[in-house]
Amino acid sequence: MNGKGILKGMGVTLQRFVDTYLDDIRWWGKRYYTPEGIAHRSSTNTKGIFTIQYPEEKLPVPEEFRYKPFLLYEEGEKGEKNIRCTSCGICAKACPTQCIWIVRGTDPATGRPVPQPAGFWIDADICMSCGFCAEFCPFDAIKMDHNYEVASYTRNLMDIDELMKPVSYYAGIRPLNYAREEEARKAKEAAKAAKAAPAAG
Amino acid sequence: MKDEDLRDLNLPGYEIPPELAGQLAITTLDRVYNFGRRSSIWPMMFGLACCAIEMICAQAGRYDMARFGMEVMRPSPRQSDVMIVAGTVTKKMMPAIVRLYNQMAEPKYVVAMGACASGGGPFKEGYNVVAGIDKYLPVDVYIPGCPPTPQALVAGMIKLQEKIDKQSIKHVRWYDGKKEDSVAVAIPYLGPDLIDPRRIPEIKAKSMELAQPPAPAAEA
Repeated sequence: MNGKGILKGMGVTLQRFVDTYLDDIRWWGKRYYTPEGIAHRSSTNTKGIFTIQYPEEKLPVPEEFRYKPFLLYEEGEKGEKNIRCTSCGICAKACPTQCIWIVRGTDPATGRPVPQPAGFWIDADICMSCGFCAEFCPFDAIKMDHNYEVASYTRNLMDIDELMKPVSYYAGIRPLNYAREEEARKAKEAAKAAKAAPAAG
Repeated sequence: MKDEDLRDLNLPGYEIPPELAGQLAITTLDRVYNFGRRSSIWPMMFGLACCAIEMICAQAGRYDMARFGMEVMRPSPRQSDVMIVAGTVTKKMMPAIVRLYNQMAEPKYVVAMGACASGGGPFKEGYNVVAGIDKYLPVDVYIPGCPPTPQALVAGMIKLQEKIDKQSIKHVRWYDGKKEDSVAVAIPYLGPDLIDPRRIPEIKAKSMELAQPPAPAAEA
């Protein structure tokens, strides 16, 4: 019989057509603007391609996603910001695009250098998000941010006030990295204490 | 009147004070005018480097810039509103880009997408790369990133929409009779790195000469 193949093909099309409606009913009201909806639409189980309704919903970024660097500070008890950076300048030396500028801080009373940056600038319009600064920093003071909504009307030179973010923010965006680093830090401190204890005793 | 005041006027539900009643029509017109412009920003279709891939991705189904009326990539500068300079701009390309910008009809905007277009990126001290197109073109929005993700590009385009929302029909340069209708930028000449096509025969002759050394003098 002629035309069998056409009928078969039309059957497949009809099946797909019905399936789209069944899928719509199954995901009624939760396909968009919900985390499980985004996860389903991005997974391999989904049928078809779906738009991320960007300003209203955002595609979750992986933990290792990196955009622009930022500086970490520890929050003190009185709300003071204890910056981790010691202005050693390793990040500026490691930066392939040379977009980091650091000014070493000085004690205003004595005029001697202190391990704190007086100024820290990153030219975000030069930075190519390689993450070398974060890799090389021995103090875990500079890390890569997840925030990509940084478009501006002028050249985007980020100064120290813009760059500083609390450690809690870092723990929020990179929980696994944070846990690993904290563990390493504690182990190091314990080893230091164990080494110091017999010497004292 | 300041930009902030105008933006407030453009918001719905704003009570017009009596001293501004005479301007009621013009501010309403602003809203309509800006709504039309912000909802049909047609970009020019050209990409220069890897950022162009992200721009293509932002135009495709997953991020779908058509939701903002930016889906019509025009192949002609005469029909486009915004120039997304996506990628590394070499010195050879810069005169062409400036010429395209001059050919665009007002209102025209420039978006520098990515590190290379904004500031030169890793090639900022390169011998053949322009360290930031803002040296030659008036850039409206800078989008940092290397390359910016499609969502970052969309965020930048929303920023451009916000800029358009703040403009007033009373003050825009293309309706102001006193100013030039259109901004024309002088086409730059970027030094000896640029190959001068008029010298191509000369260069060709020299290279031919180097490739084929002259036959040794006939034996005596």
